[in-house]
Amino acid sequence: MSEPVVQIQNLSIDYVIGAGRFRAVSGVSFDVPQGHVVGIVGETGCGKSTLAQAIPRLLPEPPATIGEGSVIFRGTDLVQVPLWKMPRIRGTGINMIFQEPLNSLNPAFRIYDQVAEAIHIRRVRERGNLVVDRREKPPFDYSRRPTATSGEALTRSVLPPVAAEKAARHRTDSDGTIRGEVLDYLRLVRINDPETILNLYPHELSGGMRQRVMIAMALSEKPELLIADEPTSALDVTIQAQVLTLMKELIEEVHTSILFISHDLGVIAETADELGVMYAGKLVEFGPVAELFEHPRHPYTKALLGAAPTRYKSEGPLATIAGNVPNLSHPPSGCRFHPRCPIARPRCTVMPGPPLELVAGASEGHRSACYFPEEVASIP
Amino acid sequence: MTTRSAPGGPSSAGGASPARRAWGGFVVFLRVLRANPLTLVGFLLVVLLAGAALVMLTVPHLLTPYSVNQLTLDYNQAPSWHHPFGTDGTGLDIYAMVLYAIPIDLAIAFAIAGAALFWGGALGLVAGFWDKPGTLGGALSVVILRVTDIFLSFPSLILALAIAVSLGRGVPQLILAVLLTWWPFYVRLVRGETLAVKHLPYVMAARAAGVTEGRIVLRHVLRNVVEPVVVYFTLDIGTVLVTLSTIGFIGLGVNYPFTPEWGSMISYYQSAGLISAYPWTVLGPGLAIFLTVLAFSLLGDGLRDVLDPRSRRVLAGTGTGGASSTSPSEREGATAEPSLNRSGLPEPIPTASRGVSSP
Amino acid sequence: MGRSLTDFTVFVLKRLLQLIPVLLGITILTFVFTHLSAKNVCNAWFPHADPTTIANCNARVSQPIVNQYWTYLTDLLHGNWGASVQGVAVYPQIAAGVPATLELVLSALFLMIVIGIPLGVIAAQSAGRWGDHLVRIFYLSGWATPTYLGAVLAAVFVAPYFGLPSHGEYATNPPPFPQYTHMSVLDALLAGNLAWTGDAISHLILPAATLAFINMGIATRMTRSSMLEVIPLDYVKSARMKGLSEFWVMYKHALRNSLITTTTVLGLTAGGLLAGTVVIEEVFGWPGVGAFAFTAIGGGGSPPNFDGAIAVVAVFAVGVVVANLIADILYGLLDPRVDWR
Repeated sequence: MSEPVVQIQNLSIDYVIGAGRFRAVSGVSFDVPQGHVVGIVGETGCGKSTLAQAIPRLLPEPPATIGEGSVIFRGTDLVQVPLWKMPRIRGTGINMIFQEPLNSLNPAFRIYDQVAEAIHIRRVRERGNLVVDRREKPPFDYSRRPTATSGEALTRSVLPPVAAEKAARHRTDSDGTIRGEVLDYLRLVRINDPETILNLYPHELSGGMRQRVMIAMALSEKPELLIADEPTSALDVTIQAQVLTLMKELIEEVHTSILFISHDLGVIAETADELGVMYAGKLVEFGPVAELFEHPRHPYTKALLGAAPTRYKSEGPLATIAGNVPNLSHPPSGCRFHPRCPIARPRCTVMPGPPLELVAGASEGHRSACYFPEEVASIP
Repeated sequence: MTTRSAPGGPSSAGGASPARRAWGGFVVFLRVLRANPLTLVGFLLVVLLAGAALVMLTVPHLLTPYSVNQLTLDYNQAPSWHHPFGTDGTGLDIYAMVLYAIPIDLAIAFAIAGAALFWGGALGLVAGFWDKPGTLGGALSVVILRVTDIFLSFPSLILALAIAVSLGRGVPQLILAVLLTWWPFYVRLVRGETLAVKHLPYVMAARAAGVTEGRIVLRHVLRNVVEPVVVYFTLDIGTVLVTLSTIGFIGLGVNYPFTPEWGSMISYYQSAGLISAYPWTVLGPGLAIFLTVLAFSLLGDGLRDVLDPRSRRVLAGTGTGGASSTSPSEREGATAEPSLNRSGLPEPIPTASRGVSSP
Repeated sequence: MGRSLTDFTVFVLKRLLQLIPVLLGITILTFVFTHLSAKNVCNAWFPHADPTTIANCNARVSQPIVNQYWTYLTDLLHGNWGASVQGVAVYPQIAAGVPATLELVLSALFLMIVIGIPLGVIAAQSAGRWGDHLVRIFYLSGWATPTYLGAVLAAVFVAPYFGLPSHGEYATNPPPFPQYTHMSVLDALLAGNLAWTGDAISHLILPAATLAFINMGIATRMTRSSMLEVIPLDYVKSARMKGLSEFWVMYKHALRNSLITTTTVLGLTAGGLLAGTVVIEEVFGWPGVGAFAFTAIGGGGSPPNFDGAIAVVAVFAVGVVVANLIADILYGLLDPRVDWR
């Protein structure tokens, strides 16, 4: 396997509010291998979104501070990079799709301008105006796909309205192909007639369309790492399925490395290669998806799988996890899951709690933060 | 912060004792002061002014050896140890006159803003609370709003000037002239806040529980309107002062030197050509009015940052952080200390929250 | 979606129609306050006038109130706005002053936009830190300075320090070229005379800067608070994630949306700016409506001009209403979500 795109090592993130201070993410370590999709699941408030936004240093600092640890990307520790240098890494290096398609497109600009801006940034960097430390060939190049040109030919043969023609001439000023590329990327996300939406504003599109545009915008910069922060959870169920299907197809096509954050195990099961489970700011289990689903080695993963809606039974009470999510300003000592854990022992309450370690006897790369991983299978 | 975040139903909203409420308000106030050093500066200046006004009303000779309008034998003297702000052409000690003007200026400003708040606030409450179309209250509120709109289309200073001309010079006339143009702002403010509060669940609950309309207004609506009104009133004291001293400057206010008032003092020196000849004459009254308005503005601005729910988020830290629903801001809004005591259960199983059991 | 040109025209026309009742209300209000507020209006308005004036005035006042208002209104529409005690007609004086006042107010507005709004952005970016505090001290200082104090200080202290003129529009009055628009800088430019343009600008800069400094606080504060609302939103984050530098994220993506609220507030400052001209124009000898208002109202001990005061109050009110209409239209143009219908 080639070198991982990003290595997260012992990352901790604190929030400081007045005199209060709590650790939203504590000691998380994992790698995103080249070309893989890594999923992170957990409950609301487990720190997965904080983690996602900490990687490109998007968290407002203060109140957030990166307590310790490192994020190695292209051989540099992003935690040490001064914030004003981060824009050079964002975009073409790391890109992100946000949860709320309603809010993630700027309401004041037309779709064309927003996508074109992204493409423009990438081109400027490719021309070398800004130093981009790209060690390998870009992971994918959509513009060379044969289907793109044929699709283009189909739409271009239709005579565009005069107004659109004028707008097009105006917009292809310096770089005649930006418009074509915008259309290519909109087609990539299965927008059938992209010409019609170029001049629209985000509020004139449906939620699903907006998220497609968002995805097109992120992909158009050909990022080495794409972070998808719950890209489907704010959408209607039917639209969710469409966007998810699209994402799955795109993952096949573009071969980029993706960090996929979700609270939905079903989504992760369909898309990810590796899966990490977070609980109360800690990564409690990490391993290949199939392995994790078949043989969970942490009681929390087991409980989460048991509570997933796919296991709804037609009769009897719904499965739940007893107890409450812990208060992160005063987390439980030792293993944070022990107050809710069916197999907790006295040892589990002792600090600093179980480390995330390779599980003996499991398949390669399967790590769990439990003292008794072999007992998990026996939990009813 | 205290009243607003207590939507626990009619009983809890109306249940706190006055003493406890006052204490809660005091605690909030201390947090305001701690949050921003500039607010503290404003607060100290206001306290200083109030103290000076009190001294000038009771034992003025603690602060100045001169009585009101007492002439000295020094004419047009530059600032010195004896005359900190110098003297004017008639031999009045400017420092003494500035001090004697403190209680007068403050009293006029408070009278105007207070009366405008009372009158405009009452109308705003009526227009906001009984605005159902087709009823008597609805018709009344339409009339109130139209009249308010027309008043608001005047620059208040200009209208006040026109009225002041008709009324003639003097303190009561000045108060009346400014007051007549001042109340519409409070109608707007209180009406807006009333409309916002009126449809909150706990007001609905109180109504459903059979609480009378008048009681709802007094106990629930009014108390929630108080916070923005306090902020606005504090800022407004400064604006009123500026306006009435401008009227004084134009020469329509009180009659200086018979009544000391900052705006009229500057007007007097300006029209007598003293300011270009002896620039220090503007120093005393100018500094006084500047610091007074600045004090109330700093205090009001700081209060706004804490009491205004929009900017409250900002104090908690810029924005909603990253951690979706556990963002620090929300918690800051509810309690002083961060706590995660939401009856949380995994999101992937939305229906499962029915089965919550405490540990 | 109603954002076509037709919808826009209909919207503007509708708003203009809505102005009519407001304008009527304005005339009623000025009429009421100037005719009825004092017990003996004629003595209040003409304290030192000769008996004929007083008698004329009393004859007018003794008519039924509705008749008085009707006469007032028809005269207003005919451009017959009355005259001062000395018999100088009001209408030509006000009409002559409008361009100069407009020039002054627009220059102040320009300064408020190019200085006040970036200051608001800086304050928002450094919220709670020293940058924020400095900006706050700056705009609150403007807020706490009464217009007359600022004007007097600028004229007496700042002008000599920088060697700037503090009176009038040009070094000589009238200037040696035709005045087509009666806006000093524009006229000098139209005459193609750069030296006189510079002279006009140097005369304009102090009154405009004073007016701007005093009214800037609202624009800065509004920009700051709306920026603070916009900055945490996802689209600002997604602009950052595109790889844009912080400058472009702030001034292109965040500010573009904050401006929508700031525009409305800038419309609301029209009242303050117009009221400010009364004192500023008087102190700086600027030949506009404000200076006329100052003398008409009886400022500086001059005899009050009854008709002039009423007219000028109404003119200012109309100015405020029109400014708010323009702000409304700009709001709609800036926010693509606004439906004109």
